[in-house]
Amino acid sequence: MQWAVGAAFIVVASVAGAQDARLRDRLDSSTAARVGAIIDSARFAGLPTRPLTSKALEGASKGAPGPRIVAAVSRLAGELRSAREVLGPASESELDAAASALILGVRRADLVAVRSARSGERLTVPLAVLADLVAYGVPPEAATQAVVRLAEGNGEDEALLDFRRDVERDIALGAPPAAAAAVRLNSAGLAETAARAGTDVQTGGPPRPRKP
Amino acid sequence: MSDDELIERAAQELRRPVRMDPAVDARVMATVHVLPRHRAERARGWWAWLTQARTVRVSPLGALAAAAAVLVATVVIVPRLSPDAASEQLAATTDPVALTQAAAASSVDSAHVVQFVFVAPTARSVSLVGDFNNWEMDATPLEAGPARSVWTVKLLLPNGRHRYAFVVDDSTWAADPGAPPAAGDDFGMPSSVVTVTGSSS
Amino acid sequence: MRAAAPVVPAGPSDADLVRRVLSGEVEAYAGLVARYRDRFGRFATQMLGNREDAEEALQDAFVRGYKALARCEEPDRFGSWLFRILVNRCRTHGAKRARRERTIVLDEIALQGAGVDGDVEAAAWREAIEWALAKLDDGQREAFLLKYVEELSYDEMAEMTGVGVSALKMRVKRACDRLRVMLREVERV
Repeated sequence: MQWAVGAAFIVVASVAGAQDARLRDRLDSSTAARVGAIIDSARFAGLPTRPLTSKALEGASKGAPGPRIVAAVSRLAGELRSAREVLGPASESELDAAASALILGVRRADLVAVRSARSGERLTVPLAVLADLVAYGVPPEAATQAVVRLAEGNGEDEALLDFRRDVERDIALGAPPAAAAAVRLNSAGLAETAARAGTDVQTGGPPRPRKP
Repeated sequence: MSDDELIERAAQELRRPVRMDPAVDARVMATVHVLPRHRAERARGWWAWLTQARTVRVSPLGALAAAAAVLVATVVIVPRLSPDAASEQLAATTDPVALTQAAAASSVDSAHVVQFVFVAPTARSVSLVGDFNNWEMDATPLEAGPARSVWTVKLLLPNGRHRYAFVVDDSTWAADPGAPPAAGDDFGMPSSVVTVTGSSS
Repeated sequence: MRAAAPVVPAGPSDADLVRRVLSGEVEAYAGLVARYRDRFGRFATQMLGNREDAEEALQDAFVRGYKALARCEEPDRFGSWLFRILVNRCRTHGAKRARRERTIVLDEIALQGAGVDGDVEAAAWREAIEWALAKLDDGQREAFLLKYVEELSYDEMAEMTGVGVSALKMRVKRACDRLRVMLREVERV
């Protein structure tokens, strides 16, 4: 047992050492030390560290000043921590997507709602779609409502990804983000309503002219 | 209004030009690029094709159309490959990080080939930089088509979210207009995000 | 695509681009795609009723066109040749699109009108046309669009669809009769 623990320690230390080497090579010593401390703290808390290292390397490649890199990594670590508090035990990709959503302004309560809609199932795609919709400009509340309704209704990852792609396309063609999400969700909602009511939406009456 | 006038009025409305998503072009070309080439180049072999110098004449209007298509990019997630096909694809890439990730992947179900496409007719070089290659500027160069307007590269990426950007001519950072923007501080230079799952995204 | 009034495209001709693609210059196909994307997309959208299916059919047609390009016997009429492929693709996609509700078309029209200040009546008229078009059966819709929107002759339509001229004329007449009734009904609402 002792040799297994020792071996595990060596492996962890080796991985940490390799990561440190990348940061040491690409960042100035002060920034590397401060970022390393944040990463060590995250690792100790059981949080994924790869997103943090990537954020630091991104900053390095983009020539960002050290303090800004440290701030970005620190903020991401905080959001990963918050995501884990909301989601509980979760995979790196789930925490990463949730952290992105939090950074974009999604509330913790919204994450709870998404988790509840997909109880017991993988959350990566619903959380990723939520973050992506907000990144496109859909208000967080509207994006959350859409993801929750789709996750509860159909539940399939493909449906969520299709929805995001449709909204993305509509926005690219000039639609306001909130309207794009609402229209696409209403379309899905109408189909569900019709199916439940047993009516044929296609044989409905002619559209009424809108009042000016 | 007479019946004929009513129909003609409806037809006139339907004849109005429609604007389709320009990303259709990139998606078509991304698919076309993986198909066998027509005739002469296939007969001479890919090496002869690769080493033959070419002159491309483009009319001013053609050049304007190509310039208007700049920064049209798309990420195509290729359906899951068989282990042999995945190995073949992997052998086609030179990205060391992709090789490392593939070795670490327990099965091909946890990773998928992702094709990145970037349209930049006037670029001399285009690189892909992201989480999967330590954001190293020269780790993953894209390959240009014969007319050097459509640049592509394929990577085997593990399931999850990956942030990335394109770097044109070693200096200009560009996000992928066909992908969601990445959250968080982008340090003043845009980045995008792709979610790799068992479904296409 | 009208034989009586050929449109001369700006830049290299269709025949030039086809020849370049057939000699191995894949990139030249991008010029053909860009040239016909919007025009063909209009037909596909009106035929299938929503953008997503239209894009799928459009992309499918372009890819099939590339694969079969060596069989395009008249490269200077590439547009007509490819349009025939698109018409067939729309028929195939139309048969699969039972899962897509027609209301998406109306919502898409509402979406397009969202940014237009004040032109409510025009948007409503467009919405009514799209609604009425969606009510036609596939054969009547196809015939109406080819005749009145793409403005093909009956001989061209027959060549494109494989349907006889007499049958096409009957489909167009029935489509017009139904559209008139529906659009009059909208006027009264």
